[in-house]
Amino acid sequence: MFLEARDIVKAFGAFKAVDGAELDVNEGEIIGLIGPNGAGKSTFFNCLSGDAEPTEGTIRFLDKDVTALTPEAHARLGMARTFQVPVTFEDMTVVQNVMVGAFLRHPHRVGAMRKAEEILEFTGLAHLAGSPAKSLGTPGRKRLEIARALATEPRLLLLDEALAGLTPAEVRLAIELVRRIKGLGITIVIVEHIMEVILSLAERAVVFHQGKVIASGAPRAVVDDPAVVAAYLGHHMKRVRM
Amino acid sequence: MKHWPLAVIGFLFIAAWPLMVQDVFLQRVGALVLLAAISASAWNLLGGYAGQVSVGHAVYFGAGAYASLVVYTELGWPPIAGAPIGVLVSMGISALVGTPTFRLRGHYFSMATIAAAELFRILAANWPLLGAAVGLMGPPVPRSVWDLSFLSPVPYHYLFLGVLIVLLALTWQMQRSRMGYYLAAIRGGDRAARSLGVPVLRYKLYALLLSAGFTSIAGSLYAVMVGFIDPDSALGIVISVKLLIIAALGGAGTLFGPLIGAMILIPLEETTNAMFGGGGTGITFIVYGAIIVLVARFQPGGVAAFWDKITTRRVRHVP
Repeated sequence: MFLEARDIVKAFGAFKAVDGAELDVNEGEIIGLIGPNGAGKSTFFNCLSGDAEPTEGTIRFLDKDVTALTPEAHARLGMARTFQVPVTFEDMTVVQNVMVGAFLRHPHRVGAMRKAEEILEFTGLAHLAGSPAKSLGTPGRKRLEIARALATEPRLLLLDEALAGLTPAEVRLAIELVRRIKGLGITIVIVEHIMEVILSLAERAVVFHQGKVIASGAPRAVVDDPAVVAAYLGHHMKRVRM
Repeated sequence: MKHWPLAVIGFLFIAAWPLMVQDVFLQRVGALVLLAAISASAWNLLGGYAGQVSVGHAVYFGAGAYASLVVYTELGWPPIAGAPIGVLVSMGISALVGTPTFRLRGHYFSMATIAAAELFRILAANWPLLGAAVGLMGPPVPRSVWDLSFLSPVPYHYLFLGVLIVLLALTWQMQRSRMGYYLAAIRGGDRAARSLGVPVLRYKLYALLLSAGFTSIAGSLYAVMVGFIDPDSALGIVISVKLLIIAALGGAGTLFGPLIGAMILIPLEETTNAMFGGGGTGITFIVYGAIIVLVARFQPGGVAAFWDKITTRRVRHVP
């Protein structure tokens, strides 16, 4: 198995943000993680990327137990991520931001620069290479995050709401970019609120609710699942009591 | 780098300074500017490039200063022979202090560095080997040229200039290498840096080792020139604060920022000290305070950022 997470629990005190979640990812897939706010998607996602260590459970990536490894070790093994709120290195230029990622596999400046330029070309940021990163707006920053992550030459890319906050036109451009990334043979796990994105991109959707996976399968079938509808819209009115 | 012509003119000016002015006071100020520039450039490796604001660098400065005079008082060696020992001691202390404190962020890190430095100051003030509260003296008259004890400030000026050029050349190389990019990423945000495979703790430690080593060399040079140190002049918190202010004033995280800061602050400080005599110490603190307020309020990037702002076109905002 390419990536497998078993019985993941992440507790903050008595509260279990993730409560026994499971996930299997095959190489080459695009998987969408969806669920209402507070469902535990982001926490689960942080467990996958090494930013948070699960309280219980194991995560295996490329048949290696990565449960307790640091984020930098995850990056070395070939896992890259973006953040919900982009963390741009403000006082560097766009190409320098990407070079930070490229230095992981290219220790010398010239090699890292070449790799970064190639990635900027691929992500459509080449014309901004020399601009200060702080001059970018939200769509540019989100794209830069993806570029920086790609520069580490990952086999698995974790996208945390990489498309949130974009206009519909920008969303379409971003979807097109994600498709091309998949075309490179990179596996993608994407957390997303926008249903359109999941329906048009993901081959499989996994639905979180209250820290558990309540449904998994083809996106179209999953969104029609009564349990999923209930999780998003609430149960029947008569069950609401004062 | 677009500022090279300006930098070359600046260095020629600095190199010619002791020849242009015949006044010993002014020559001395020139040497002290270079010494401060070395110290603040060393601080800048960690505080500027890596963004880890240490307010405890006095401990490394003191290690160098004490090592120099201890090898003289205990072994009769020329004080400069203590410099490599000071570097080793500093690196030892930095590994000891850095490993736990780098887990702290922002202000908590800065506070921990103050605490660690004060500990060493109190230790030195009570340790007879280090002269306790009285301090240590260097050779009263030079025994050989190796004592580097000169009446004129001019030889020190060129010695310091040489060390500064070596340090800045190394910093420039570092800035262009993977380490420079990794430190900038750490300054931008630990979490994002780690997600890109930057071993954050390891690189903070590298920056600290380099920074501590060169700060220690500055301390040794200070002891060699002044020939007398005590716990306050070599290990006091004023030194830590001074390094920070010089770098911040000129531009933390830039190659020439600390030198620019030193060229502004040291002449100012020496003038007030000369004008107000023994009471000058108090005036110095007022100047420091005013600079902190002005830099923080109007130009957090220091003079270097201000210069960039007035010499480059406005940044165009792009989507």
